[in-house]
Amino acid sequence: MRLPTLLRTKPEAPGVHAEPFWSFRPQSDREAGDAIVSNFALHWFPAKISKASMAWNYSFWLGTISAALFFLTILSGLPLLFLYVPSIERAYQSVKDIEFVITFGSWIRAVHRISAHLMVIVVALHLVRVFLTGAYKNGVGRGQQREINWVIGVVMFLATLFLSFTGYLLPWDQLAFWAVTVGTNIASSIPMIGPGVRELLIGGRNIDQATLIRFYVLHVVFLPGLLGVLFAYHMWRVRKDGGLARADADAESVLESSRATEVVPTKTYTLLGVARGTAPTVTTRTLEAANTTVNAVPDLTRRALIATLGTIAVVSIMSVFIASPLEEPANALITPNPAKAPWYFLWLQEIVTDTTIRIGSFTLNGAFVGGVILPGLLVGLMTFWPWIDRSTHLAAGVWLPRDRRRQNLVFLLVVLFVLALTYVGMELRGPYWNFYWPWEPWPDIPGRI
Amino acid sequence: MEQRTSSPYPRVDRVVLAIVGVVLVIGTGLFMWSDRAHDWRYYQLQFKQMVAEKFGDDKAAVVPGGVQQVWAADLSRADRCITCHQAVNYKGFEQAEHPYRTHPVEPLKQHPLEDYGCTTCHGGQGWAIDTAAAHGEVAHWEEPLLSRALGETYTLAGNKNALMQMNCNTCHRYDRQTAGAGAINLAKSLVNEKGCRACHVINGFGGTIGPDLTNVGEKPPEQYELSRLSGQRTAFAWHVAHFKDPRALSEGTVMPNFNLSTEQAQALSMLMLSWRRNDVPARYVAGAPRTDPRSADELKAEAAMKTGPGGWFVQTGCFVCHSISALGVKSPAQIGPDLSTAVEDVQSRFGMTLDAFLANPTGTMSVVLSRQIILTPEQKQVAIQKLREAFAEYQRQRGTPVTSISSK
Amino acid sequence: MSDKPGTGTDRRDFLLKLGTGAGIAAITVQAGASMRSLVPNVSYDSPTTVKLGPTSEFPEGLKFLPDERLFVFRDGNTFHAVSAVCTHLGCTVHAEPLANPQTVDDDGAAVKLTHRFLCPCHGSRYRGDGANVSGPAPKPLAWFRLSLAPDDGQLVVDLADAVEHDFRLTVG
Repeated sequence: MRLPTLLRTKPEAPGVHAEPFWSFRPQSDREAGDAIVSNFALHWFPAKISKASMAWNYSFWLGTISAALFFLTILSGLPLLFLYVPSIERAYQSVKDIEFVITFGSWIRAVHRISAHLMVIVVALHLVRVFLTGAYKNGVGRGQQREINWVIGVVMFLATLFLSFTGYLLPWDQLAFWAVTVGTNIASSIPMIGPGVRELLIGGRNIDQATLIRFYVLHVVFLPGLLGVLFAYHMWRVRKDGGLARADADAESVLESSRATEVVPTKTYTLLGVARGTAPTVTTRTLEAANTTVNAVPDLTRRALIATLGTIAVVSIMSVFIASPLEEPANALITPNPAKAPWYFLWLQEIVTDTTIRIGSFTLNGAFVGGVILPGLLVGLMTFWPWIDRSTHLAAGVWLPRDRRRQNLVFLLVVLFVLALTYVGMELRGPYWNFYWPWEPWPDIPGRI
Repeated sequence: MEQRTSSPYPRVDRVVLAIVGVVLVIGTGLFMWSDRAHDWRYYQLQFKQMVAEKFGDDKAAVVPGGVQQVWAADLSRADRCITCHQAVNYKGFEQAEHPYRTHPVEPLKQHPLEDYGCTTCHGGQGWAIDTAAAHGEVAHWEEPLLSRALGETYTLAGNKNALMQMNCNTCHRYDRQTAGAGAINLAKSLVNEKGCRACHVINGFGGTIGPDLTNVGEKPPEQYELSRLSGQRTAFAWHVAHFKDPRALSEGTVMPNFNLSTEQAQALSMLMLSWRRNDVPARYVAGAPRTDPRSADELKAEAAMKTGPGGWFVQTGCFVCHSISALGVKSPAQIGPDLSTAVEDVQSRFGMTLDAFLANPTGTMSVVLSRQIILTPEQKQVAIQKLREAFAEYQRQRGTPVTSISSK
Repeated sequence: MSDKPGTGTDRRDFLLKLGTGAGIAAITVQAGASMRSLVPNVSYDSPTTVKLGPTSEFPEGLKFLPDERLFVFRDGNTFHAVSAVCTHLGCTVHAEPLANPQTVDDDGAAVKLTHRFLCPCHGSRYRGDGANVSGPAPKPLAWFRLSLAPDDGQLVVDLADAVEHDFRLTVG
């Protein structure tokens, strides 16, 4: 069915879109394609998407939720940019003002903080999902380079962690001050270049105004910019590589079955379709077969909207009930006891505690082993895993395939280990970083008056 | 006419989307409500009604609304207390309940609100506008409101409001006496009377047996050893218990038990916690720094002691704790016994002769003589000689025959 | 096409490479130069030689100086100073008094151990003379040189001058 002729003032021509706008309720496939092509916000969507990729229980939409959280941090960060003063004399006070006397200030700060915390969780889960489904593997499409997107993803995960690290320094409270002290001393423990790196990071030899402004610029300009660019590239690559790896797995089952799939004639939106070349064979035969795909508009957009709005709803409600803590003002003279990093770095804090190596009179500082070498190895191994993984392309886009059972097991063990260390750091470490079982009481930390 | 590809999703997804939308609206309503739900709005409404009842609607109409703040720029204090405590400068509510009570006028004459703010004296968190946060009853805020209620939780023996005097003494630490700060004044006189400086440096002078107390109020609470403390677990409670019985809290200490009353111990504890680093501008600080001023009479008496027959004891430092009344030496602290009768006294207290005791002192004297007053064997001989002279002088003054030494 | 194999292509190729190469090289240097501005040339450090006050202000045993992050020990008229900066990751260690002080031999000089030091960040523990006992600390707490100021006789520490554990400053 066509749109009412009333609206059609110009004759149609191939490649010319008569409508100045688009419809979220397309009546035909053609109109559904137009809604993608003529919409700036949707231009990076495919015209059609496989039903398999749409499933809630394959990707859990973790990538979409991560993106929604990223944009929430940016949106909530904008008003904070106007309100926060990056000076060691005024930073703490300006955060107190945001908390207490700015209208909706504490809510905005809570949204920013909670989205950031959730973003760490969701991005990590996204990474776990991609690993467990082997989604960094190339399937049957020509010219796919999903390994590159995996590497980009790892960098984005690191950028997320650095954004969190630089973010919790800004209030310039005790948590901030001692986190910078410990964080930059980890850098300083690298032999030879360490002290130089630390000096570069904190802009001198003391943690001072120069330190705050450096981390501030990293937090509000450099890292979000980097993450934004990488995000765009990440999405572009997803399109270039033919969508989710799940679609490849699905295509293969179609190919393998004797079911006859008719060749669908190429349409304008096919050009926006998949992979390199003008006519990817898989695409025309499977991705556009009517029974395996749906139109991106409105089915994909609707689900993306559900994921995004759902995320916003959850964050905004959590932000009403979870207050953002602010410790005592930064005091170089007193180290809090125990001095704990935020939860997502506690496994590192636990590792640097346990990895000082003594061989005879030779000692290797745990700061270097646990703070640089081990995390470096872990990240390096993760980065190059697609080239180490020798499983067949049949294992791409499938949850826990037999082919990758052993590596998935090892990966899960590492994840479990990190979670266990995080739990130890969160719950079982008391004053002086002493170990306490859950049923052992901590000695009271007294008050002043 | 091409048809649109059929899709199985809309049926369920539309419902889910609708639910998400409704939840989002609820969330939006929630945070709007949470911003309105501050208790200061209620207090401002109440105060307006009180003003209207008492002074008429015209007056009530000009009572300011919204978040109010006193900004004491020199002290970097932004105190929003007057958001709820609107009557502070409003005459006529002297007998009203808090937070609607007028502030007493007298202290404000010396300490104008716009120069000092509220928290400089009262403690609490001036930035906050919610009761619990503003009164400092929250985590990560170490300056609670020094209120009567807090005084009552410590069952202060004297004035229940006295805790606030700790903050007075931030600026008034060099005053000998501060008008209105009874507990601090009591504590300061005790410091002189008991001779704390015999063992402790305070404001740059004093003995070195005990720790330097100049900034003892800065000591972080977690560095107190609380395992022997019962009851409230705070630095203040520790000081009170420690003043009442030093040895019960810190094993092996040589600090004597002064048998202080509860009121005295509490006053001294307030004084201890008030001795903090002073980060207020100089014009806010009263009195002279470094030392407590001494009167001309006191200085003259001290000079006379130094040159008199007991001069040796003054120069050596014995007089910090001991008087030698027979030789005209009067200790400011009188912690130890009068040495005029040491020759007899040592025998009865320690069961040994003076010579033996000085060679191998026990108890507090072993600490003093090994750390603060270190005497060579020759000096010890001098000390024994001088103490014999003092005893002879003592007996001469009492009219007892000298021979009684040999009869012992 | 006037394209002759050899000369023309070579020249155009060379010019293209020269232009691109020179451009990239120059931009790299300029970018590097701008980044150089981030390497600090001076540091707003407090001086490393600090006057700590007259010796009469130091009690027997230990005095903690938070500004310098330093413990000054006094034993009669001898002094020594031990850093309070944990050698692991730079937190400030806390001093905890020992119930039974003991004397040990350390680098040929007797040291009375009256305290032990605990780090709140990662649980390193040190003996009273700064020796690392347990936890991740890789080396002992530093000892710093103490001296008396020539002008007013105050105790002076040089935080840039680490000394051996037999160092003592004896005040006459």
